Amino acid sequence: MTTTPSPSLPHFPEKMGEGDQRSGGGRGWGLDRRATFWMLYLPPLLWLGAFFLIPLLLMFAYSFRPDMRGDFFQLWQPSLNQYEKLVSTGSYWRLLWTSAQMALLISVISVVMSYPIAYFLAFHGRQRVGFYLVLLLVPFWTSYLLRVMAWKMMLGTEGVINSFLLYINIIQEPLTALLYNRNAVVITLIYVWIPFATLPILAALQRIDIALFEAAADLGARPFHQFIRITLPLSLPGVFAAFFMVFIPTVGEYVTPLLVGGSRGSMYGNIIQDFFTKAANWPFGSAMSMIMLAGTLILVAIAARLINLRDLLE
Amino acid sequence: MNAKRPSLYSLTSMMVMLTLLLSACGGGVVTATEAPAPEATGTLSVLEWAGYDAEDFWVDFKNAYPDVTVNFEIGISDADIYSKMAAGNQADVFHPYSGWLQFYVDEGLVEEIDTSKLTNWDKVSESHKKLGQINGKQYFIPWDIGFTSILYRTDKIPEGVDSWAALMDPKYAGHISMWDDGPGAVTISSYIHGYDETAITDEQLAAIQEEWIAQRDLNLFYWAGEPELQEGMRSGDVWVAYAWQGSYALLLGEGVPVAYANPKEGRNSWVGFYGIRKGTENLDLALKFLDAKLAEATGNNVVNLFYYGHSNQDVMNSVTDPMLIEAFGLNDPSILEKTNFTPNLTAEQRDAWTSMWAEVKAAP
Repeated sequence: MTTTPSPSLPHFPEKMGEGDQRSGGGRGWGLDRRATFWMLYLPPLLWLGAFFLIPLLLMFAYSFRPDMRGDFFQLWQPSLNQYEKLVSTGSYWRLLWTSAQMALLISVISVVMSYPIAYFLAFHGRQRVGFYLVLLLVPFWTSYLLRVMAWKMMLGTEGVINSFLLYINIIQEPLTALLYNRNAVVITLIYVWIPFATLPILAALQRIDIALFEAAADLGARPFHQFIRITLPLSLPGVFAAFFMVFIPTVGEYVTPLLVGGSRGSMYGNIIQDFFTKAANWPFGSAMSMIMLAGTLILVAIAARLINLRDLLE
Repeated sequence: MNAKRPSLYSLTSMMVMLTLLLSACGGGVVTATEAPAPEATGTLSVLEWAGYDAEDFWVDFKNAYPDVTVNFEIGISDADIYSKMAAGNQADVFHPYSGWLQFYVDEGLVEEIDTSKLTNWDKVSESHKKLGQINGKQYFIPWDIGFTSILYRTDKIPEGVDSWAALMDPKYAGHISMWDDGPGAVTISSYIHGYDETAITDEQLAAIQEEWIAQRDLNLFYWAGEPELQEGMRSGDVWVAYAWQGSYALLLGEGVPVAYANPKEGRNSWVGFYGIRKGTENLDLALKFLDAKLAEATGNNVVNLFYYGHSNQDVMNSVTDPMLIEAFGLNDPSILEKTNFTPNLTAEQRDAWTSMWAEVKAAP
């Protein structure tokens, strides 16, 4: 809004924007804007600094340790051993690529499936939209682990799906291909992410001005054209937000593959977890994490460049 | 000018709050260290495995020192417990298992134990005492004892299992479950091929890696916790698995048709130990805790609730339940001769073997 000031506007912000807020803030609290800013931002900044940034930096530092020996804070000779070993082990790279592909598949399907839900909530929910939202969020009242365990009961050889198929005589032997493989991981994660992916899309749809539809209808656009020309483009920021919200954590996912993935279902995140909890090799696990972080950032940067998020958001 | 003062205030108040918080945390530690052990009050912290934090497994200590608060922190594996201790965890007492002892001593993380302070020490057999010695000194006290062998469903495999190679047998494809552990995999391959487990060469390790990558296609899932394995066995998805005797005894008790193999290469046996962190201010209390761990009521609970052996011989001699006698192999005097004890890992072996296993799991 303020990026391209037209010649006639310079008086505007001073009068209504900045000046107004400053005097308003001053009257109410006796604080000016900068103080208010720090009051509001310091707690989350400290929190993120202490529990996100510092651990991340420690992990970065740890990835240059030659091995686990020595105290946590003891100085050590920085070494590239871990990265050298990582670079020379092809299977880890292939697994990272596989994990990224799985994450892509999972995010695309989750977003596609969430869109109609968000659309329904935004345009057909009416007074009951609050109730529907609660319904959507009900699964979060149960622990994530329990929900994934429930999928084991669904997909197992004596599980709900197999029992039903056996009962209606479609199959004679229980299907073993349902559980303990990558498909089970994909199915479960899509289920887990759908409610999450719905929320940003819903927020984007709710921002659309209804008058646009009326105008489009007046100009003779049919519902399908309204959707393609108005609804979809205007909701794209929410769609991309949903996509990245699913994609980024899914690349490093490890709990779901652990529970339903079986021997061949390991993702990159599982191997990182193993180096921390089963191998007592934090330096190598840290190096793997750094590579994943860098890889994900690069992918997101490329995607952001391709899609040009700024255009979409304006 | 005016802008700076409030923000400085908020920063100062934040610092004050942080200081208060930190000093409150520190307060807990101070009371713990100030507590004189002779009166037996205070706080003891234990880095323990899930399950063993239940009061049943330290009931003698609880009864003798009701005023001592025992805090448990849970470790999920030997590697987890070791890395926590190496990273400076302040637990007074920790619980490592066979194989994972040497580096605590090498890296100065464990206190030598003054066994003259342990009233129950003479009830522990010499052979078990020896397993807790590193470089000729008693750094660890043995506590829980068990076998590793192959657990199988007798209804699915009526012909039985007589070798560790069953875990790699294509006959059981899709119904095998291996423990999720690199050193465990190296141990099994060593038994099958007759390798010297303490001197695995690079070529042998490469062969072992290939072997387990091939095994992965037959394996249903790698189990991390025993309940996961037990569930697989119960449901009939898993027919043959790497297992500890506690799972065998539990499933047998539930009426699941299972048997515990006596493989021709020998079973594996392991011992759990307690160690005391070097430099703990709670040394006396920690020794009292260890002594009570060796006492009878605690030992009986290990035997009767978790179906593992206990290092107190009086406890083991009083076992009468035929199912437990079977599970411990107490009716087979030659069982120990046919058993392979787990040797101590070096730091190099630990890193190489766990990396090998990660590559098995990551293989395309």
